[in-house]
Amino acid sequence: MDEFHRESDISGDALDKMLAGGVSRRNFLKFCTGVAVAMGLPFGMGAKIAEAVMNPKRPPVIWLSAQECTGCTESLLRTNHPTVEKLILELVSLDYHETLNAGAGRQAEEALRKSMQENKGKYILVVDGSIPVKDGGIYCKIGGKTALSLLEEQGSQAAAVIAIGSCASWGGVPSADPNPTGATPVHEVFRSKGIKTPVVNIPGCPPNGYNFLSTVLYFLTFKKLPELDDQGRPKFAYGRIIHENCERRPHFDAGRFAMEFGDEGHRKGYCLYKLGCKGPETFNNCPTLLFNDVGSGAWPVGTGHPCFGCSEKGVGFTAPLHSPARPLYITPPSFFTEIYPGKEEVSSGTKALAAGVAGAAIGAAGAAIVAGLGKKGEDKKDKEE
Amino acid sequence: MAKRITVDPITRIEGHLRIDCEVDGGKVTHAWSSGQMWRGIEVILKGRDPRDAWLFTQRFCGV
Repeated sequence: MDEFHRESDISGDALDKMLAGGVSRRNFLKFCTGVAVAMGLPFGMGAKIAEAVMNPKRPPVIWLSAQECTGCTESLLRTNHPTVEKLILELVSLDYHETLNAGAGRQAEEALRKSMQENKGKYILVVDGSIPVKDGGIYCKIGGKTALSLLEEQGSQAAAVIAIGSCASWGGVPSADPNPTGATPVHEVFRSKGIKTPVVNIPGCPPNGYNFLSTVLYFLTFKKLPELDDQGRPKFAYGRIIHENCERRPHFDAGRFAMEFGDEGHRKGYCLYKLGCKGPETFNNCPTLLFNDVGSGAWPVGTGHPCFGCSEKGVGFTAPLHSPARPLYITPPSFFTEIYPGKEEVSSGTKALAAGVAGAAIGAAGAAIVAGLGKKGEDKKDKEE
Repeated sequence: MAKRITVDPITRIEGHLRIDCEVDGGKVTHAWSSGQMWRGIEVILKGRDPRDAWLFTQRFCGV
């Protein structure tokens, strides 16, 4: 990390303010660089993030809670770098949040109105919870207004919306069959109402607080949203399936599975695929980011429980927990390099590469292609001889 | 003449709580508390694999 710090630099003014606030330069840049790395940005971007964070004009944030359980807020409260109090007191101006507001009732609603008027078109709207649309939206009301009308009003005037959690991202728990209240995610409400405000989805139940924080900091630094996938999720966090980075993946590849809870395989930490783990069809960074800053193993699979795909639409709260996952990518066959490589034109490295690519794409057929490659090489060798 | 006071939302708690109370001559004569949000988790649970129940019931409240 030290090399990164020497490369990073921020202006003298910003540095003075930071030191006056009792934060060491080292810790501050460490945090900014960490965020840059977590988002897959070049190290130098840490300094840019630092500049944005030091900006005295803190961006206003309004937090709308709809059909939610506050688990997303709780998860965010567990983040340590930065802590949520640093986020809401120093980095952003959190003007309205039902659970964290000091004032209640009319006072809270006044703070909301004031911020919306003063920051029209500039504030970030964070939504947690799904929006019930059935029966005119009566299943969730705040201050006598439906969550549906509040989202319409607040969403149309926001610079951007961050839908935190599975409920706001794709419906989550309340939208589970038979969806009694017509629970609808933010982006679908926007589509039906013709609201064009950009939405970024941070699904998870709860999502990792750092995926949310990183998105906020990216927005503060670059004044735009990070690169998103086809479901509106930041690619830096949801670019890969859990199975790809799982610490138990070697057990899967070797065919070592826990067959039931508490059996020998389970005690030895074998793969949980046969207990219904949905890691092979769930896009998230849980195995690499972990939870709560308490070290290795602090994520569902690490504790010995199969992933149930909480962040993935059509998997979490939809597919039964103990049913097998539908792996998205066929696992390529394992390859061993040859101990004494031959002289054939097609090197073993090329064969392995072809096997990986073809195997991942078309599974069993890939092995056939590789077998063909091997044969061709051997044929040539034969001719040469 | 009774005066009606409504506090909605009640903040610093989880969920959407509303309190209505009637005050008459400096005394609270009636009070009502009401949850302002319903998801129907009981309805969602019907017909599911019992081993999945905790996934839903655990999410009544995330605090």
